[in-house]
Amino acid sequence: MKTTKLSLILTLIATFVLSSVAVMAQDQTEVRISWWGSQTRHDLTIAAIELYEELHPEIDIVYEFQGWGDHWTKLATQAAGGELPDIMQHDYARIEEWVNNGLLLPLDSYIEDGVIDTTNIADSSLAGGLVDGELYGINLGNNSENFTLDADAFEAAGIEIPADDWTWNDFEEIAMKLHEELGIYAIDAGITTEQLWKSTYMSCCDSWAYNEDGTALGYDDDQPLIDYYNMLLRLQEAGAMQSYEENVAMGDQGVEANLIVPQEAAMAYFWSNQIVAVWGAAGEDRNLIMHTVPRVEGGQPQNYIKPSMFFSITSQAKQPDEAAAFIDWFVNSIEANEILSAERGVPVSSVVRDAMAPTLGAAQAEMFRYLGVIENNNSPIRPADPAGHADIQNNVWGPEFVEPIMFGLITPEEGAAILREEATRILGQ
Amino acid sequence: MATIKSSDSVISKSRMTTPKEVWYKRKGVQTVLYHLFVGLAAILMLYPLFWLFGSSFKPPDEIWTNQTAIIPNEFYPDNYPNGWAGFGGINFEVFYKNSFFYAIVGTLINVTASCIVAYGFARVKFAGKRIWFSIMLLTLMLPAQVQIIPQYIVFTQLGWLNTWLPLLLPRFGGQAFFIFMIIQFIRSIPTDLDEAAMIDGASKVGIFYRIIMPQLAPAIVTASIFSFYWTWDEFLIPLIYLNKPDLYTVSLALRTFSDPSGQTDWGAIFAMSGLSLVPVFIIFVTFQRYLVEGISTTGLKG
Amino acid sequence: MAESVITLPKTKRKKSSKFGQHNLVGYLFISPWLITFFLFTFIPLFVSLILAFTDFNVLANSGDFIGLDNFNRMFNEDRRYWKSVYATVKYVVFAVPLRLIFALAVAMLLNTTRRGIGIYRAAFYAPSIVGGSIAVAVMWREIFGNEGLVNFVLGLVGIVGPNWLGRPETAIWTLIILAAWQFGSPMLIFLAGLKNIPKALYESAEIDGANGWNKFRHITIPMLTPIIFFNLIMQMISGFMVFTQAFIITGGRPLDTTLFYALYIYRRAFENFEMGYASAMAWVMLLVIAILTAVVFRSSSYWVHYEADEGN
Repeated sequence: MKTTKLSLILTLIATFVLSSVAVMAQDQTEVRISWWGSQTRHDLTIAAIELYEELHPEIDIVYEFQGWGDHWTKLATQAAGGELPDIMQHDYARIEEWVNNGLLLPLDSYIEDGVIDTTNIADSSLAGGLVDGELYGINLGNNSENFTLDADAFEAAGIEIPADDWTWNDFEEIAMKLHEELGIYAIDAGITTEQLWKSTYMSCCDSWAYNEDGTALGYDDDQPLIDYYNMLLRLQEAGAMQSYEENVAMGDQGVEANLIVPQEAAMAYFWSNQIVAVWGAAGEDRNLIMHTVPRVEGGQPQNYIKPSMFFSITSQAKQPDEAAAFIDWFVNSIEANEILSAERGVPVSSVVRDAMAPTLGAAQAEMFRYLGVIENNNSPIRPADPAGHADIQNNVWGPEFVEPIMFGLITPEEGAAILREEATRILGQ
Repeated sequence: MATIKSSDSVISKSRMTTPKEVWYKRKGVQTVLYHLFVGLAAILMLYPLFWLFGSSFKPPDEIWTNQTAIIPNEFYPDNYPNGWAGFGGINFEVFYKNSFFYAIVGTLINVTASCIVAYGFARVKFAGKRIWFSIMLLTLMLPAQVQIIPQYIVFTQLGWLNTWLPLLLPRFGGQAFFIFMIIQFIRSIPTDLDEAAMIDGASKVGIFYRIIMPQLAPAIVTASIFSFYWTWDEFLIPLIYLNKPDLYTVSLALRTFSDPSGQTDWGAIFAMSGLSLVPVFIIFVTFQRYLVEGISTTGLKG
Repeated sequence: MAESVITLPKTKRKKSSKFGQHNLVGYLFISPWLITFFLFTFIPLFVSLILAFTDFNVLANSGDFIGLDNFNRMFNEDRRYWKSVYATVKYVVFAVPLRLIFALAVAMLLNTTRRGIGIYRAAFYAPSIVGGSIAVAVMWREIFGNEGLVNFVLGLVGIVGPNWLGRPETAIWTLIILAAWQFGSPMLIFLAGLKNIPKALYESAEIDGANGWNKFRHITIPMLTPIIFFNLIMQMISGFMVFTQAFIITGGRPLDTTLFYALYIYRRAFENFEMGYASAMAWVMLLVIAILTAVVFRSSSYWVHYEADEGN
């Protein structure tokens, strides 16, 4: 017992010393970066980082990476402890909250000074990172929602691929027909997401779920939302849409588990940068076509171009200038993006896009093509989600609105009233 | 105790009057029934693991198209090297080393300390014992989620980020769960040997080493198995204190594989998750043997 | 309380060392725990208690003292709070006894020295060690799915199993059954406890003519009560704090029927960053568990039998 204890203590001391050695000062400048992702993204990003370090030997980039959920837990903890990295990957839905708490640096001065070169980046691509008119995050890849269609299923059912400006009425018709002819679902129940709430109001009424300063709802008429959910109920009833309870049972399994993969549904709804994952899971021999989101009858396009994710510089950054230089290279360098393989979405720099076009795989090429279509077919992106959004999404949208409606406990009208009441209360705080 | 009927001992009767063959047959039937019943239940218990390992050999385009099957249509062992490769050059060998270090050292410290503290609570009378015991139990009742941020600030101020100190040092106090458990075991040990030793002039410390510890073998084995497993599986603490990927433990690495907003290699996750169960299993199977011998404190009462 | 320096006759010394106070020795033995408690646990505990009376926000890293507002909101305004209380209580009421019963029954079954017993023990312990990785979540969802194992087994008996995880009526039962399935930990402790019972007791009972049931009732159970007591307390505490399974498998859905208390605390703390409110919730739970634990402790003098206390 005693000798074990002794050797134990020695091991501990040794480990402590060793890890302290790693932490000791070096003559390189250290830049810390943190991102979320899966194995693919980690490998590609690290490879890109290593290239940067080769080109800039005086810089040592210390990286941390984790899964999506852990990323936010960890960074919130780091924020509280004053240990945020220089660069953090950020998300459109969360960036405003972090800005409001003074945790991110505005990047406009870096753009003015040319440290971050945006000459090849369209304004619409940058717009998503604006909070109160200042830029807080650089878009790492463009995304848009899409309805992916299984071309083979459509053919088998004798349905033509719809036009780019198809409406929800067209969608309902097609969905019912697909179910009739093929006996499978037209689509899974993932279209109950709050994304489609926001974009519905963009399409019908040129507004958004939230008003401009995020203090109240952005619309007065609940009818478009009610109509949409009545449609979903009809589809669920008819068996054309996966039942909501089955969707709950499936849980949060990631996009590879989408019903279109085992051909249990003829359509699927997800973000455009996820096509690579879906196609990979479904098999190379499939014929998948990315298509626009249906729009409200007589309305504007329901698609908008959204930054898939940002790099932001935190206010606790120790090397903000070097961080900015790295972000600039990350977004503009052709070699960097060739390594990164558009895994985060379609690159925002037109120069990079053109350079990469010849070398894309089938799924990626489809993603590039689709974003090209959307560039001519979109509504402008709205300001980032207000601070109350997380609260609304977690505590109202699911448990008080979608679930009671889809389980038949309340009507869409009642649901809309509850949503309005609760959301207004939360946003007004 | 049941009333003694010396002439009606059921066992001795059956052994004496039943012919040998019948007795063996009955034993045999018993054994078969046992194995049948328990074996079937065991298979049911293991089914989830069969599914996990089976799925780990499915190729990416079969995992979600052929979900229920245990046996893949196409045998695809590549998930293992793919998963093992880890991230950016840091493969699972690193993660396993970290996990083993943490679990083994953590368990040794933990269990030893818990025994020491438990003895104090169980066998020594001292002022304030009740209060400290209650406080110790109370620490079990507050969810970790509300403790980690203040704790994090304390450890960052000390400069212990990216070291093993925040993970290992608190274990020198033992863990309330084990302390309580071992207290219960100690209290089931009769004090006769203690008293005998005291008459011979042994101190409390001596009694601890020579009398109590040896009798705690089942408790120590159990505590060690638990401690190893819990430490192996722990992720919240390593997540916030071990920021550098080459310090990641296996449990942390497994969580880094999945990204619902992007692309996930499910085959690799299944493969590596299944693999991560092996050490815990081995520890269990190795140590549960010591639960067979058990304690026979004979010679005292008889 | 200084001990007398005068040499006392042997018997008296024995008495005082047995019944007397050993404050220094006692504190020496518990010093590892005491020190680490004050160094590492006390501050977070204390801070979280203070935060419970503030509206501390993690990202803002600041908060104002708001008195009892958190508690008022919890009890009177927060609809989801009571849903989470209901879900947690329901879980504890069913999962804890089920778990303990299975654990004890199987421990007794596995308390033999047959050949291959190690394999069986490993098999029964296996579901408990699969951990909480995302692969495991997929695995459990698969098993409780429409064509999963559970429905298959039910089908053998002619019952058509529901969509366990999808329906609000059944979702929580998935987690309860899962808890019962994972009885390996208390089972192991029961096994250790069973091994702790001296064989001599059983042998002398057999000589006296006791049969299986008698042995169980008069030897096994009484000798096992300290362990039963321990398992009861610990399972109750960990039952109230159930988190991981709900976190990875159901996420609290559907309709918050599986929104366990600890999960709701986590959400409030790390998704809404309302650490003040979450701390308030945490301390309410601590109070409830503490009271229940105290009740069980009080009752223990009636039914728990400690060998060490015999012959005093």
